[in-house]
Parts: sequence; structure tokens; C-alpha cells
Amino acid sequence: MQPFSFSSAPIDTARGREALADPACGGYVTFEGWVRDHNEGRAVRRLEYEAYAVLAEREGERIVAEAIAKYGVQHAACVHRIGDLGLGEMAVWVGVSSRHRAEAFAACRYIIDEVKHRVPIWKKEHYVDGDSGWVNCERCAQPGEHASHSAEGTTLAAGGAHGHEHAHAHAAETHGHAAPDFSRQIALPEVGAVGQQRLREGSVLVIGAGGLGVPVLQYLAAAGVGRLGIVDGDVVEASNLHRQPLYGVADIGKAKATVAAARLRQLNPEVTLAVHAERANTGNLADWLARYDLVVDCSDNFATKFAVNDAAVILGKPAVFASVYQYEGQLQVYLPREDWPCLRCLWPEAPRDGLVGNCAQAGVLGPVPAALGAMQAMQALKILLGLPVESAPALHVFDLLGMHWRTLKAARNPACDHSPRDLQTHAIEPAVLELEYPNLAAARASGLTLIDIREPWERAMDDPDAQIEWHLPLSVFLQGSAALPPEGRYLIVCAHGVRSLALAEHLRSLGYPAVYSLVGGLAAVGR
Amino acid sequence: MKQITLQYFAVLREQAGCSEERLETAATTPAELYEEVRVKHGFTLPLSMLRVAVNEEFRDWSSALEANDRVVFIPPVAGG
Repeated sequence: MQPFSFSSAPIDTARGREALADPACGGYVTFEGWVRDHNEGRAVRRLEYEAYAVLAEREGERIVAEAIAKYGVQHAACVHRIGDLGLGEMAVWVGVSSRHRAEAFAACRYIIDEVKHRVPIWKKEHYVDGDSGWVNCERCAQPGEHASHSAEGTTLAAGGAHGHEHAHAHAAETHGHAAPDFSRQIALPEVGAVGQQRLREGSVLVIGAGGLGVPVLQYLAAAGVGRLGIVDGDVVEASNLHRQPLYGVADIGKAKATVAAARLRQLNPEVTLAVHAERANTGNLADWLARYDLVVDCSDNFATKFAVNDAAVILGKPAVFASVYQYEGQLQVYLPREDWPCLRCLWPEAPRDGLVGNCAQAGVLGPVPAALGAMQAMQALKILLGLPVESAPALHVFDLLGMHWRTLKAARNPACDHSPRDLQTHAIEPAVLELEYPNLAAARASGLTLIDIREPWERAMDDPDAQIEWHLPLSVFLQGSAALPPEGRYLIVCAHGVRSLALAEHLRSLGYPAVYSLVGGLAAVGR
Repeated sequence: MKQITLQYFAVLREQAGCSEERLETAATTPAELYEEVRVKHGFTLPLSMLRVAVNEEFRDWSSALEANDRVVFIPPVAGG
């Protein structure tokens, strides 16, 4: 006999008694829980039990093993009913056999109390007045583990030192949970035990573990999604923390994907994590995505977003995109359906990075990516649960400063064949556009005129002696009010080499023959 | 001339200095309307980088504008 099991048929107590019989035992104690005709003042007609079987069986077996070890009894078992039960039917059975009666009573009491507190079982009460409602297992109906035990703990403590120990021992045991308790989401009719199992079997690839990626990863791991892939080639920086609170100051300089995985393991040790501490690109994405059910794009640049789009389209996987700008966010889901638009349907001309601004350049408040990331996690869970994602394809545009949410219906673009296109078609041979120098002195010695295009507030933090003399912020260029002599030879410099590359490309397209970008920006030359 | 409600996002909102405005215009298409407000507000993004939605649906730049249409110009956004 299994130490703990579920039964959809009436419980066979005779079989239980036989299984626990032992010539060495002088006592056999059982407990039967029955469906009664009232609860909290309401007349009950029948009950329905539902359990998260995988987790419940494991937790139930643990409780029985604890009882045997704690009280030194010979044998113990518990059977719980699931499904529909009428009044008077047995909902749960506990049996214990031991040498002496005292420990058998204690072990039996321990098992039934712990099962009611700790095993994720829900009951739906059907009332005589025709109404019905889900009632969580005893533990889950309380605000928390400790609160649910406080009444019992007090009683036992009053009974003497032994009782007190019991209460403390139990508190320690519940802290030893192997996984989060998903009862609060299983209670939703759209989730249920079947949905929880789907999440457990589900897998999601998350591109970027930054402002959007952090809430996505946290909520997916917390919801019990079975397998997550974390892709991020960056290290944690001090300027990330205000919008990426999964990390702390002690993590600065460490690989984001690795730190994120460690934190997620603490949150839910059962989730399987794959760490890719490198930047996603057209070369590696399809290979990775093939192993997941869907992808959530939390990247901060267009090149990656379009590479994610192309991989999703090629492999026929859903993709959940989001982007933020200051107080605003955009959210779009791609589903592999004939009538569903992809990212390229919406943006036929893949935008170039650096010209429209990202978090580093434009600024952002932490809750903006958090809100959008939470919505991405929601869409991902809906996809895994098989729920309708939205009534029609759309780009959702959020303005969290003005509190507007616009749902802009999007349609498949007949001109888009949903096929990947080279993002670099606008570039004029990047090898010749970008130049690499070990330090600023070497760059100055090259004979090129250096131009710092960072915004004034970025320069404010520099050592004044090490500054590049010529300062022309990108925003001034974009307003069209900066005129450069076309015959000059320029090296454009920004913080990380993204904006400078975009501007160099732009100036080349305007006919400037000798405009270059400093690879990696000032961050790379070790000022 | 007709009344149109315009809404701006991201860099367009910054450059316009407002997130919404009501405009009296002779523009017959979103393309004409964008050219009008581009000059008015000094927008730096070319039309080719934007999308336009009219009454909550994406439209072609050459589609017809009606009185009281609600027009949104959307720049692409990449922050994460």
C-alpha cells in the first residue's frame, strides 16, 4: 500500500487495515473524515475534491514518513478521495499501527492535521440553496503557514514542553517545502489541477534578464513553469538595480543570467533552468528556441527583437514582445497562425538601433518595464494554459504617465511574407564603419576628429580633464541643427558604441565619406 | 477643414511637448497629416520609421481621413 494515495472510488478501509496489520503491533488507530451537511453556517448538499496530484502525493508521503519517524510507529498510511462525494461519504482515511496505543493515536492525529494543513487539496462545496464555492484546504484558507498553526501551537504549548516542541518542529518542516504552493492559482477555474500540470510541462525561452525579463522570469518560475531558458550576455550594473530588483549591489559585475538563475532556484527549486550568458543573435536563437514552447522577448534592441521574430516565425512558436520608452510600453504577441501578423508585418522597415532611444539614453522608471514584463508573463501563461491570448491581434500601447491604454488592431501585412531579412542592409560594410582603439590617446593619435555625441548629463559625470573637446549631443544631430564640414574625418564616440554606430551610418548615407564609430564607446577604451 | 484628435507616443510625445492634441486640418491622409505636424513640432523621425493607427486600427499612410478621426503616430520602441 502506498503511504499516501488518492482514490476516485470509495475508500476500502478493510484493505487498509490488512496492509497495516503486523504481529508486532498491539494497537491500530484510524481516523475517517466524512462529508458533513454544513460548513460555516451553510447547508451543504455534496462536495467535490480536486488535488494537484504530483505535488500532493509527494507532500502526503513526506507527512506519513515524518509521523513514522517522529512517533516510532510501525506502519501508517493515508488515502484521500478526489471527485464527487455525497453527504456521509468518507473523504479521507488515516491508519496507524504500532506497539502501543499512545504513539498510534499521536501519529494518527499528526497525519490528519498535517494533511489538512499542507497537502494542496481543494474542495468545492455545493450548497442546498443551489450555490457553490471552492474552499481551499485548511492551510490555504489562512493568511499563511504560521498563522494557520498559531491556534494549534498555543493549545499544545499550554499542554507542556512537548507540545511546544511539536509546534516549533512543525514550523521548521513547513519551511522545508520543495516547491511553492500553487493553490491560489489552481483555485482559478481557468487553471485548476490540469492547468497546473500544463505549466509544469511547459517551457519558455526568455531573451534578456533586464527590466522586462526580471518580472517575466520571476512570475514564470513562481507559477511553476517547468523549464526556463535565460539569455543575457550582460553583467549586472549599478544603474540596472532601480528597475531590476532581482539583483542586489553585491551582484554588480556578475553575469546577469547566472545571478538570475540562482535567485529563481531559491524561488522555485523545481524549475529547470538553462543559462545562456551570451547575447542572442540570428546564429544561436533558432537552435535554442527549438527546445522551448514559446519565447518572451525582453531585449533592449531592434536587432535582437527582429532576430527573435524570425526564429519564432521559422519554428512556428509563439512570441511575446514588449518594449519600453520612458513612461510608455508596447506589447505584441505573435502566434503561429496564418492570419496573425508578425513583427515585420507591423514594422516592414526594421528600425536601426540607436536612433529612437533606449532605457540607458532616454531614462525609465522601474515600474514601467515591471508592468510590461508582468503583462508578458501573463500572456506567456495564457499561451501555456491554452487560454485565448486576445480576441484579435493587436499592438497594445501603454502610457503609464497619462494612464492610457490603446489597443491598436493589427492585421497580417500582405506585403510581408513572414520571412527573415538581413538587418544590415542599411549598413555600409560595418567593418569599415567601426574602428577599435585601446585608449582615447590612441584614438586621438589616429588623426581623426573625435566627436562626443552623448547627452550633457552623461558628460557631467566625466573627469573634466579626460573629456573629448568636441561635444555634439545626438539629440542636436537628430534635430538637424548640427552641421559638420563634409570634408572632415570624424570618429563618433558615445558611451557604448551603439548610438555612434547608428549616427556614423546615418552620416555615411548623407554622403560623408570618412565618418567612423568607436567600437564599444567610452566604456571600451578604459578612460 | 476637419477636426482630428492626435495622440503621440515616445520620442514624438517629447518633441511635441504633449501626448494629445486636437487639430483643425485640411490633410486628407495620415501622410499629409504627419507632414503637417512634423513641421509644426519639429519631429525628427521620418515617416518611414513610424506606423499610424486611425480609430484604433493600423492604416496605410494613404488611407482617407475623416472628421473626428482619432490618429496615433507610433514610433518603434526597443527599451527593455
